[in-house]
Amino acid sequence: MAKDLKEIKDIEEIKELGWDELLPGAALFSFREPVEDVAEIPMEERPYAPTNSHEWQVGDWRVEKPVYNRDYCIDCQFCWVFCPDMSILSRDKKMIGVVYEHCKGCGICVEVCPTNPKSLLMFPEHMDNQEALAMWPKKEEKK
Amino acid sequence: MVKKIKNLKEFSLSNDRFEGANLMCPGCAHNIIVREVLNATDDPIIVATATGCLEVCTAVYPKTSWDVSWLHIGFENAAVAAATISAAYEVMKKKGKLPPATQKMVDEGREPKIVAFAGDGGTYDIGFQSLSGAFERGHNFMYVCLDNEVYANTGGQRSSSTPIGASTTTSPAGSVSYGEKMMKKSMVEIMADHGAPYVAQVSPSKWKDLVKKVQKGFEVNGPVYINAQSACTTEWKHAPEDTIEVSDLGVDSCVWPLYEIINERDEHGIIYSTKLNITYRPKKKIPVEEYLAAQPRFRHLFKPENRHIIDLWQKAVDARWEYLQKREEAGV
Amino acid sequence: MAKKYELNEVEVWDGNMAAAHALRQADIDIVAAYPITPSTPIVQNYSKFLADGYVDGEFIMVESEHSAMSGCVAASAAGVRAATATSSQGFALMVEVLYQASGMRLPIVLTVVNRALAAPLNVNGDHSDMYLGRDAGWINLCSYNPQEAYDLTLMAFRIGEDLNVRLPVMVHQDGFICSHTAQNVRPLQDEEAREFVGEFKPVNSMLDVANPVTHGVQTEEDWHFEHKARQHNDLMNSMKTINEVFAEFKDRTGREYTPVYTYKMDDADVAIFALGTTVESARIAADQMRQKGIKAGVVSLRVLRPFPFKEVQEVLSNVKAVATLDRSAPGGTFGMLFNEISAALLAGGKKPVVLNYIYGLGGRDTTINMLKEVYEDLDKCAKAGEAVVPLQQFLGLRGPKLSFY
Repeated sequence: MAKDLKEIKDIEEIKELGWDELLPGAALFSFREPVEDVAEIPMEERPYAPTNSHEWQVGDWRVEKPVYNRDYCIDCQFCWVFCPDMSILSRDKKMIGVVYEHCKGCGICVEVCPTNPKSLLMFPEHMDNQEALAMWPKKEEKK
Repeated sequence: MVKKIKNLKEFSLSNDRFEGANLMCPGCAHNIIVREVLNATDDPIIVATATGCLEVCTAVYPKTSWDVSWLHIGFENAAVAAATISAAYEVMKKKGKLPPATQKMVDEGREPKIVAFAGDGGTYDIGFQSLSGAFERGHNFMYVCLDNEVYANTGGQRSSSTPIGASTTTSPAGSVSYGEKMMKKSMVEIMADHGAPYVAQVSPSKWKDLVKKVQKGFEVNGPVYINAQSACTTEWKHAPEDTIEVSDLGVDSCVWPLYEIINERDEHGIIYSTKLNITYRPKKKIPVEEYLAAQPRFRHLFKPENRHIIDLWQKAVDARWEYLQKREEAGV
Repeated sequence: MAKKYELNEVEVWDGNMAAAHALRQADIDIVAAYPITPSTPIVQNYSKFLADGYVDGEFIMVESEHSAMSGCVAASAAGVRAATATSSQGFALMVEVLYQASGMRLPIVLTVVNRALAAPLNVNGDHSDMYLGRDAGWINLCSYNPQEAYDLTLMAFRIGEDLNVRLPVMVHQDGFICSHTAQNVRPLQDEEAREFVGEFKPVNSMLDVANPVTHGVQTEEDWHFEHKARQHNDLMNSMKTINEVFAEFKDRTGREYTPVYTYKMDDADVAIFALGTTVESARIAADQMRQKGIKAGVVSLRVLRPFPFKEVQEVLSNVKAVATLDRSAPGGTFGMLFNEISAALLAGGKKPVVLNYIYGLGGRDTTINMLKEVYEDLDKCAKAGEAVVPLQQFLGLRGPKLSFY
């Protein structure tokens, strides 16, 4: 009998499924259980199925990562709206931070950030965020 | 039900139904467009997608990046897929056989929105027949073309959306060629001429304009066509972080004018008025050259022997901008 | 609610009308179709049923067969019952989507009125389209006359939609000879037919907004093989359901269907193995041969896919010579039936003489006399214990005799 992919807890376990365990037609599910109104439920509260890419990571694509500095942020949400990867975490109209599991390091958030100095800057992937914050540039004088 | 989105802060309350860890390129505009379209409503959404970047990168077994029901059949049939899902929905509604959760949404005035996404290859070229057929039949759905002016998924071959002078893998620039020879096909007008109630051109960089148009599209009854500029870091060859800037250059140079065409129809579907509205006017119209210079796919045009193509570009863009303004002024 | 269609106990219907009534009675939610000769009347009849209030579902006149099958796939994935009809070039245009329908395990029903494939263009019956689609992963049912076209179309919904099967089903009938020839048909009354077909059971419906589902994924070398294996396994095992549905249909109507059809095979020395309307002609030829003392029989497939391998072995276990009649240009080899029947026999340890006749292309008439000639060839081979005529011959062809091997 086909295993119900919703029941599988471990992503690694999916990779080992034999032909006899697959759901006919290769259908994939977004959630483990019915979700009546997805648009009303923030991501952190959703019962994601292991087959939802939300549960997976692409952070290792990055060479550089965006680091967020709360001190200068005006919560304009430009970074949120233009992030191609749903990786700017924003709740109640406030910017919270970067979802590093899903951020591919494109750098759009930094480019569109309007503050001076910017509230998001790219740093080498291996650098500690605290270290990055400590070396944050000062306000640039308008020429 | 129209979602209230007064400003960006309010828009940021949206709970995305498109998920991260998809396999789209870093900085891809497709994703930004998809987010803006899906977040334009809180009503249920059902998506059909043509073969292309968005399809091959968001549903690679055993992972899906969709929190809404999603279907891919082939390259050339996203329009008929979405149109028939819409028809299936109408039949089940009429028969009173919708699944309970769906029926509950309908009772609350939140009818599912059926959206097709396809690239310019799946729209201007191979999917055009299916698209034309579905629009002629008048199904209630929205078709969004993610227009990156190239077959990006298969390695950057020209499509009938590729603009003149672009170097692609099947119209490469060379010692005796300036690249693509044809002007881009006028898809927006073609779709408006199908009599669709609402047709619009958008850019993800102008998010509010895009969201407003998508919301208008969701409100009308009948097929809606949205042509979305989709800057492609891989094939336009700009840096991933420059996606929004390149998009803005396109809009502010009027290479990618933002406008809508509304075919107002009476209860019998007879069109009694066609209006074209320009929805964004650049404060300062920048030269096309700046838009071209930002994208290495046009780099060869800056050689002396190809400069005439840049002049041609400027002429074509000016003429088109003039045409749109005349139509708007005349109310046709 | 659709109006009840008043039907006589015996109606005079051609194959197209019979198939159209079966589709009407199956209470289909979405028919997406495009007309093509000779299946056009199915689409036209269905349109008329809709116009007269006999159909509840939606009928979408799409702009191509590609869109017709794409529409069926979308509707089926949306969780509703979908069906269509086509022939020949239209079938060829659908081929890409046929594979998607079966790979996505969507129980669509397709009535195929078999017709030749161009070039040269031809509107008449042969089995080129059937052969083109035989590897597409669909269940293939074959009929010989309007009654069977009707019966098998109704049964197709039950078979494909069974939760153990969930595969699309084609029902074949011969262009013109079946599709346009009016014959007596004993239909079920509307309510009986509806009850037999039953309510559509959605699986992973896209319309269920509380359970978002992704259909039509990409699988590469790490997954594709397993999914295709699963699909093949379930298609092979669908024979069980097919037999159950055949049995239930017999209980209701008295009409018996079996995966392999036989006529006078119990003591046959020689047999014609053919598909479609030719079976009916072959029966007459067999009877006439028997009057001459030749023990002739006829074998055919009701179920082309899944191929009834064991049943074929069994039916042919005692014949001395069998002629496989392929009504499709074989394209550089033997006909499909020759290859498949030979393989089944060889695997079963039997080595009767197997001959291959290519016949009836583009609607060329196949007469009783031609079929009797085939039996004469078989009789010669049976008596000699070996092939004494060429293995592949063209039957009813003008010009010098064409044969190979």
